[in-house]
Amino acid sequence: MLDTLELKIKTGQRGLGRTPGYAINSHEIAFDQVSGGTGPGDVLMAVGSPRSFPHSLSLTGPDEGVWDIEHIALTFHAGEQPYTVHLGAVTLDSESKLNLWYDRPPLLLDV
Amino acid sequence: MRTWFAKQMNDAPAVLPDAAPAEAAPRPKAAIKSRRMVYAPVRASGTEARPEGEIRIKAQIDSNSKQIVLMVDRPILPGYSYWTSNLHDAQRLSPLAAALLEQDGVDSVLIHEMNVTVALDLHSDEQAELSARQFGKIIRAQLQSGQAVMSEEFLATMPSEDEIRYGVQSAIDLEINPGIAGHSGEITLTSVVGNTVYIKMGGGCQGCAASSITLRQGVDQSFRNAVPQIGALLDETDHAAGSNPFFTELPSGMR
Repeated sequence: MLDTLELKIKTGQRGLGRTPGYAINSHEIAFDQVSGGTGPGDVLMAVGSPRSFPHSLSLTGPDEGVWDIEHIALTFHAGEQPYTVHLGAVTLDSESKLNLWYDRPPLLLDV
Repeated sequence: MRTWFAKQMNDAPAVLPDAAPAEAAPRPKAAIKSRRMVYAPVRASGTEARPEGEIRIKAQIDSNSKQIVLMVDRPILPGYSYWTSNLHDAQRLSPLAAALLEQDGVDSVLIHEMNVTVALDLHSDEQAELSARQFGKIIRAQLQSGQAVMSEEFLATMPSEDEIRYGVQSAIDLEINPGIAGHSGEITLTSVVGNTVYIKMGGGCQGCAASSITLRQGVDQSFRNAVPQIGALLDETDHAAGSNPFFTELPSGMR
């Protein structure tokens, strides 16, 4: 079960200008805690508490225009140990939503 | 109206399918519409500092599929791929693959572009980490030696893309698709690049939990029997979009 989801979103050149929502299993819900912003170059910190089993988990794009995301760090509190997934650049528009659900990644190490 | 389930959940409010969740964001209805799911690239993190110019290798350990993928910061076999589980063949064609196959528990080696994938018997995270470090040493030593990763014979005996395409398509038409038709499944050849084969799995195979087994134990073997020089076999199927996977619904009498 996904208890808590923490997001750190660095916006690129074109901002959203408001706090985004997210959706779990197609139900849109608001984040519990938000700080920072989504203007160009801003960093948004957001915490959501779905307390549910996600079949789908997504970040909703803008209602109009586009939103350039430079980087996202997702921290999932699901199970014994939290885990973090880093996502690279992506652009969202009024027709799109960004997948946020990732299983615990395989062990990765420098060798 | 409170449901039985809501009572069991410490009087949590029930959320009926057509009701907005209690914590719904105050967004206009138009915004809650069907949207296309997009995926951002997943980034690796936590790279160790290494001296300038040193070969960097990152190992990804996948205990479920019992393999270690070693990602090197430079091309190893550009344009082609090489797969083997046969030490004798590897000694003739690839000193790198041979050195890896000689390690305890290694079943097969795939060299593709900048990656080396080693399939092996994994028992614990500790053993996997030790193996990964050993494989990293072998790859680094091979690249530092300046010796070619593949012998001249490898390219000299490589069939053309058209020949590979013909052999793979024949295997699909004559062997694979007739075999999986009973599960409403089908395999489509999408492209051949060098000796790397890209396919899609459709019908009952798309999204099926057993699709990776079908690919690994059936399709892979059939393709290699048809064209032994095939390297990587890559599945381009969007399995999450499957609408008719085999066993999506339990057969009658099993519900």
